[in-house]
Amino acid sequence: MSTNRRKMRVASVVAGLGIIAVLAAGCSRGGGTPNSTDDGAAEASPGITDTSITLGITTPLSGPTAGPGTCTVAGITAYFGAKNADGGVEFGDGKTRTVEIDALDDEYDPQKAKANYDQLKSSVFAMTAGLGTPTNRAWREAAIADEVPQALIMTGDPIFSDVGESPWQLGFVPIYQNEGQAFGELLAGSGADHKVAILSQNDDYGEGYVEGFKKGIEGADNIEVVKELTYEATDTSVDAQLTELAGSGADVFFNAMSITPLVISSLQKTQELGWLPSWFLPSNTSSPSAILEPGGAAAFPGVYTVAFAQSASAPTFADSEDGAAFLSALKEYADYPDTPAFPHCVWSYQVGATLEQVFAKMTEPTRADFMKQLRTISGYTAPLMLEGSTVDTTQDGQPAVSTVQVQKYNGKGYAPATSWDE
Amino acid sequence: MGTFIQLVIDGLSTGSIYAALALAIVLVNQATGLINFAQGGMAVLSAYIAWALNGFGVPILPAILAAIVASFLLGAIIERYLIRRFEQGDPDTAVVVTIGLLTLITGFCAWVWTYNNRLFPSLFPLETIKVAGAVISVRSLGTIIVIVVTMLLLQALFLGTKLGLALRAVAINPASAAFSGINVGRSLMTGWGLAAVLGAVAGVLVAPQLTLTPGMMDSALVYALAACILGGLSSPIGVVVAAWLIGVLENLAAVYIPFIGHDLKIAVPFILIFVVLIVRPQGLFGRKAVVRV
Amino acid sequence: MPSTAESTSRTPVLARPWVRWAGIGLVIVLLVVGPLLLPEFANQTIARIGVFAVAVLGLNVVMGYTGQVSLGQIFFVGVGAYATAWGVDNDWNVVLVFALACVVPAVIGLLVALAAARLGGLAIAMVTIALPIVGVPLAKRLSDLTGGSQGTSARFTDAPEWTGLYDDQWQLYIVILIAGITFLLTRNLVRGKYGRAFAIVKGNEAVAGSMGISPYRYKVLAFTIASLIGGVSGFLYMVVIQYTSPETLHFGHSIELLASMVIGGAGSILGSLLGGAWYVLLPQITNLIDPNITAMLQGAILLIVLFILPGGLVSLPRLWRRRRGSLSTPVPDQTTPTHDAVIIHTERQDQ
Repeated sequence: MSTNRRKMRVASVVAGLGIIAVLAAGCSRGGGTPNSTDDGAAEASPGITDTSITLGITTPLSGPTAGPGTCTVAGITAYFGAKNADGGVEFGDGKTRTVEIDALDDEYDPQKAKANYDQLKSSVFAMTAGLGTPTNRAWREAAIADEVPQALIMTGDPIFSDVGESPWQLGFVPIYQNEGQAFGELLAGSGADHKVAILSQNDDYGEGYVEGFKKGIEGADNIEVVKELTYEATDTSVDAQLTELAGSGADVFFNAMSITPLVISSLQKTQELGWLPSWFLPSNTSSPSAILEPGGAAAFPGVYTVAFAQSASAPTFADSEDGAAFLSALKEYADYPDTPAFPHCVWSYQVGATLEQVFAKMTEPTRADFMKQLRTISGYTAPLMLEGSTVDTTQDGQPAVSTVQVQKYNGKGYAPATSWDE
Repeated sequence: MGTFIQLVIDGLSTGSIYAALALAIVLVNQATGLINFAQGGMAVLSAYIAWALNGFGVPILPAILAAIVASFLLGAIIERYLIRRFEQGDPDTAVVVTIGLLTLITGFCAWVWTYNNRLFPSLFPLETIKVAGAVISVRSLGTIIVIVVTMLLLQALFLGTKLGLALRAVAINPASAAFSGINVGRSLMTGWGLAAVLGAVAGVLVAPQLTLTPGMMDSALVYALAACILGGLSSPIGVVVAAWLIGVLENLAAVYIPFIGHDLKIAVPFILIFVVLIVRPQGLFGRKAVVRV
Repeated sequence: MPSTAESTSRTPVLARPWVRWAGIGLVIVLLVVGPLLLPEFANQTIARIGVFAVAVLGLNVVMGYTGQVSLGQIFFVGVGAYATAWGVDNDWNVVLVFALACVVPAVIGLLVALAAARLGGLAIAMVTIALPIVGVPLAKRLSDLTGGSQGTSARFTDAPEWTGLYDDQWQLYIVILIAGITFLLTRNLVRGKYGRAFAIVKGNEAVAGSMGISPYRYKVLAFTIASLIGGVSGFLYMVVIQYTSPETLHFGHSIELLASMVIGGAGSILGSLLGGAWYVLLPQITNLIDPNITAMLQGAILLIVLFILPGGLVSLPRLWRRRRGSLSTPVPDQTTPTHDAVIIHTERQDQ
């Protein structure tokens, strides 16, 4: 009897499994890579309805890069928060929609960034504003395959702005090369001879700046690079590098550094060493109140930077109308009460403004139309931009903002510098 | 030659940052047998408390003292209510608990004070002194002096005082220590409290240079651990010397060995440890641990 | 016959053979059928869990089973991923690429272990910490091989036409197959004589030596196997994420793997799987709660879990059984001797 019982048990279990398998084989599910719709009437993409549109952001909200990362969410949330309170954004198809932002923390880990993308892609219309090169690169190819826009992201990596390589992407901030080149050209235009010492971050950021700078001084025989060193973003101090560079006798110091405390300590240390060159700092680490004043930058003959947007920590910023509106929107809609110490808050706000321009041109609620209209903005002056800088998305190979201006520190804030020998 | 001396002095200065944290780790290890990954995080929290008090109008020195007292209490409470449960169990679990504590404290600091870099007022004037043809800032010099004093105090504590002996006894053999009349629980709490105090001192010393952010001590932690292992987990003098050695040799290797350069100079401390541990497995100054079979 | 009926009712449910076979059968059916039914995001998440479960498994071999501290497991995952990317970019056959992803980390692990294993626990710990920390700038410097700090993409796991599957299903099947085989092989390893040798080395090296089991040899073996498994995890990483950069090797991930191993359950095969799930799901869960305070939430959740289950998630049934079965017998106290000391102290005072 026991063997019979066992046989029956086995049979029933096998039968049960078989039934499950047959049922399962019968069902399947949709999903995976999308089918392209060639029919005339465009089917709305995910994340957009007649009354609202959702944008997704994957960016570092914790960890060492969380300062700028939080800003990349705060700016755009503030912009659209104010717009939503006014009734929404007008789209080119005649509908007015509110803009929702769905942001996730990726801890600056490319693997988590891709996971966030996987999670968001079916519920958001487009991805935007995320910070970081490896984090954006991680899901770039997936976004291309899935035909999800990766628009106006915060990285100066040129690959995102090349239409052939990245048909569904577009960078927002100038590529690092452009910034370095602008300064190089200014320096090359100087009447005197100069020796340059270079300190750069050991990654694509630093390499891009240096590459651009060298391109800017190409052919100028009054400029000589006498020493070139690197540092790691995780270093606690760059004193050793500064000591080496100080011994090179250079009178211009090109510092492609994106870590705030290291910039401050570099400013202090070079003074201690008695080396007083003219400085170049990148746009994201040149804030007057957060960096130059603590570092005592007034001691140097000149501190230059490049910028396309106003600095939120400049003394006159809060007095201006646009500046005050920006700060109050940050406080009210983005839960960001402090004065931003990172430029990404302003940049993200400008991303929001640029997106509004694109939305106003969209005639179909589809991602394809969005990407098409994205590349048609030209000559648009976003709020808080410097005079002379514009958003231009029509140039293949260039991000939304490609022109930068060189500025010189004047003890309080920055003033435009059109030539070296001023 | 000027460059060489400057690099050595810069190395001592950077090494002091690692040494500050390493001393706290040594104290916790001697008192409870654990490696506390959260030591840096606790130091940062103490620095934030001092900064916040200073922001409310309290002058910097009383603010630091208040933060030190708060740190002692915090350390003792953490030991009693969190760590106590894991002390006698699997050491890997205890380490992971401290890792979780680090994440929690960092997240808490970020939640309250955000990730913006906060400027911490410097205790020392922003001047420089010329030493043997090189410059050193008063701040760096002050940091080094404070570290040396702390190290000597700690060494005296362990070797000379009843409290130090009690702390070590509890860590080595809690049951025997209990039989000798030592209040084990109170001793453990004191050990963690004192380590937190050390951490607070480290935090306020380095915050002016590194600027106050929730992750301020994260890079220093690895170096501090390296210094602990190189110097011997039982010797305060050892870890400070080891930390200085690491700072100086890193700088020298980066500049004088072009193959290593500034990006791979981080390998230098580990090569050093490897070489030293072959010769002396207990570290430069450590005591040989005897294991009864 | 009453005797058979009695014997079957005395053995616990899970130990009965036919239940075991049914369970295995059910799991196999789920693994085959599941990817076809589940939505894309679920498949991708399960695939990621598989990737890191294998990584945690490797860490368990050297740390959970053999008791050697390794804080460098992510280095081997990264090397495996880079080897895979290099092989794919150079158009190698996929099987050869897999072999490369296994062999390169294993060789490095072997060399490292040969040097460090003689030196005792601290040296191994330091050397393993050094691996990811030196690995990151090294990966940046060797940019011809690795693509530098921008990383490299390698798409080679798009589902072939003849299968009719979606990409995520195909990738999940690959992960299930390779991870499954890895888990099975490792399970057999740790349940066999090697596993017993590892356990003795973990418990007491002097005793191991006196029994003729060379601690040095078995530590090297454990470390090499852990590195190999790490390489497999790296291959799977490229299968699923299809991009690697120096960030993959970041030391912080090693710490996360260690935490995942302990939370899952050290020295346990099932624990490795749970650890992989923890590694992947915890950030996603905290993101769902509030993306702005993920760090604080992760720390809090980790502490709460360890407080309730110091033995890791895998000890949940044990806890359940203890609570259910021992209402009469007191739970063994986990308090430190302080408790006893206080009792003795007060007793002495009373006298």
